[in-house]
Amino acid sequence: MKIKPILAGTLALATLIGASACGGGDGKTADGKTEVVVWMNSTTGDGKKFWEDAAAAFEKEHADVDIKIEAIQNEDMDGKLQTALQDPASAPDMFLARGGQKLRDVVEAGQVMDLTDKISDEVKTQMATALDTTSIDGKVYGVPQSVLPGGIWYSKDLFKQAGITDTPKTWDEFKADVDKLKAAGITPIALGGKDAWPAAHWYYWFALRECSQSAFDEASNDMKFTNECWVKAGDDVQDLLDLDGFNDGFLTTSAQQGASSSAGLLANHMAAMELMGGWEPGVVRDLTPDQKDMADLGYFTFPEMEGGEGSPTAILAGADAMSIGAWAPQEAVDFLNFISQQEWQEKYAEAFVTIPAAKNAQSAVTNEALKQVLGAYDQASSVSLWLDTVFGQNVGNALNEGVVNMMAGKGNAEDIVKGIEAAAAKG
Amino acid sequence: MSEATTSNARPRSDRARRRFEVGVLSVPALVMFIGFVILPVFMAAYYGFYKWKGFGKPNVNGTFVGLDNYRVILTDPSFQQALGHTLFIAVMSLVIQGPLAILFALLLNQKFKGRGLIRTLIFVPYVVSEVIVGTGWSLMLQPTGAVNAVLAKFGLHGVDWIANPKIAIWTLMFIISWKYIGFAVILMIAGMQAIPEELYEAARVDGAGFWRQQWSITLPLLGPTIRMWAFMSIIGSLQLFDLVYIIWGQYVASTAGTSTMATYMVREGRLANNYGYGSAVAVVIFVISLVIALSYQKFVLNRDLDGAVEGNRGGSGSKPRRKARIRGAAVERTAAAVEAADTMERTAVETIRKGARAAAAPLMAKELEA
Repeated sequence: MKIKPILAGTLALATLIGASACGGGDGKTADGKTEVVVWMNSTTGDGKKFWEDAAAAFEKEHADVDIKIEAIQNEDMDGKLQTALQDPASAPDMFLARGGQKLRDVVEAGQVMDLTDKISDEVKTQMATALDTTSIDGKVYGVPQSVLPGGIWYSKDLFKQAGITDTPKTWDEFKADVDKLKAAGITPIALGGKDAWPAAHWYYWFALRECSQSAFDEASNDMKFTNECWVKAGDDVQDLLDLDGFNDGFLTTSAQQGASSSAGLLANHMAAMELMGGWEPGVVRDLTPDQKDMADLGYFTFPEMEGGEGSPTAILAGADAMSIGAWAPQEAVDFLNFISQQEWQEKYAEAFVTIPAAKNAQSAVTNEALKQVLGAYDQASSVSLWLDTVFGQNVGNALNEGVVNMMAGKGNAEDIVKGIEAAAAKG
Repeated sequence: MSEATTSNARPRSDRARRRFEVGVLSVPALVMFIGFVILPVFMAAYYGFYKWKGFGKPNVNGTFVGLDNYRVILTDPSFQQALGHTLFIAVMSLVIQGPLAILFALLLNQKFKGRGLIRTLIFVPYVVSEVIVGTGWSLMLQPTGAVNAVLAKFGLHGVDWIANPKIAIWTLMFIISWKYIGFAVILMIAGMQAIPEELYEAARVDGAGFWRQQWSITLPLLGPTIRMWAFMSIIGSLQLFDLVYIIWGQYVASTAGTSTMATYMVREGRLANNYGYGSAVAVVIFVISLVIALSYQKFVLNRDLDGAVEGNRGGSGSKPRRKARIRGAAVERTAAAVEAADTMERTAVETIRKGARAAAAPLMAKELEA
């Protein structure tokens, strides 16, 4: 009888020690291969398959490398990464990064590899524009896989039903179209306010049109919102609200979860349009009744604001990039260069229904709406990152929340700026 | 082999062995408790002195700001609102659920047909997980949801129950009451069943009516149960997070006026990536909860707990002592009540599980066929 408690105690201790030890390792697998751990955010379907295929193809060429693809749910990614990066032993060698302040935080903590001299020439030439999103102070800290320009996605059928023949070019035309849709008994605009950023995107776009390039850049770089165009953009939001064109209960509607989300409303023809990023076709596809591409999905760029100082062709965009941990082996860089080649960029574009970052792979885009986005992207006078990405989560969230507050009738354009200043004191 | 050692062992080594066993077996629990409860509290206090993004180490990648985080927290209108909402929820939970629970318990303590069924039904919401309750209600309370559809049938025009900042907190109060009243009712019933029937008989002989009996016998003798329930309710309110987080999501709780201290902490700490600031918020919540819990224990619960100690000592019939003994008995009754409630809870859960299994069985059979 004596041996049992001792055994139990030893076992319990061993489990504890074992649990803490399994994160460790020297980057080698049992059979001596170099292990490269990749964290990406596609947990299902074609996206996940893309990563598995790419890993298999790379391992075929490099027999001594073991690529370990780990799918992390998008919403969990930030938190898990935060914890994992505390200890190089548990951290992934390659992980999803979206640029902006968030990437800057990790870079400043010395946890990301400087890739400036490590990326292949193909990446340098073909992704020249996209690399801006992952460059900090002239150094490259990640390789974008796709660019996701924003704009207004709409249902061609519903527009036709309301008697709208051409997509709106100016704000006045846009307002007239909203009235036409309402008259036809159609909800004009879907908005997922519960996630805050979809609402804030309206504010970003208004600011992009109202502010001169220099005023916009000044705010992006120094978080100074002194130019009066930022207040004007707030007034535009008020103007938009007065149209009364959003879905009922937009404040507690989520953006992408299920048929009652804003993307779901568009997918199921319950609303005519939605302001969203370049991921929309893929998201909408998953929310249509038969989970196929939405046949009548169209795209137009954000309308021109009369009297605005911004360029009417300027666009906002996001980028999904992969960064390499400072501790990662050379093989991780090789793998990143490998998947950034034309062949794999084309496959990426197909798997994710998106625009690949490499110019030479963009012919792989077949989705009609995406082709229009691509056109707008190529003609854009400038490409800016989403403001919440630029500012990082702390100030970015405060900015988003300020816009949501305003849409709920609590506060005005000046309160948005005040909220940003308050948030800056916390981080 | 082990049998032989046991039978030959002297009592002395037997005690030593017991001590050894207790020591070894409590190590895992102690390690867990210290590692996951005590240590994090001190770590939070440490992180709270830094502006820190959560990457690297606070003393390397963060900036030491002393008590500045605490200054910002206490002067932040969003935190003050969140604190206000939390206290409102704590007080209103007592005001709404207390009387209702006692009335329900009085009703369900009477003997009538189908009593067991109703008791189970009233307890069901408490058993269902917060996530399911939150998702379910938020779908029903959408402007185009089931609730407004029913109202429209009666010619009433529903409002936006969740998003309207003037209404949202009351919607939350309704959902909280609906969800947690079952627990209060079960606790009260158990408390009532522990009150000796003779007291009521004596009262009836003296000519007291039904309400008079409840007022003079049930309520006073239910005191310890009520105080215990109130304590649990207050603690639950201070911790309220999941329901709000599910229904209002990560961002719009403060817009809708339903933010709580816990949602503020997650919003400003984890979601905003300000791990230093978030830790400071955690410390503030810890202190607020500690102060409330300790003062409640000192000024309210202590009456019951003191009595327990004195009451157990027994003693003569002097007045304070007798009072203490009654209190001691009351505490025992409360303990019994909690235990009874626990049993009922388990029975209820079991019943529901059985029901679910019974309901699922034909479906599963169908699936197997297919």
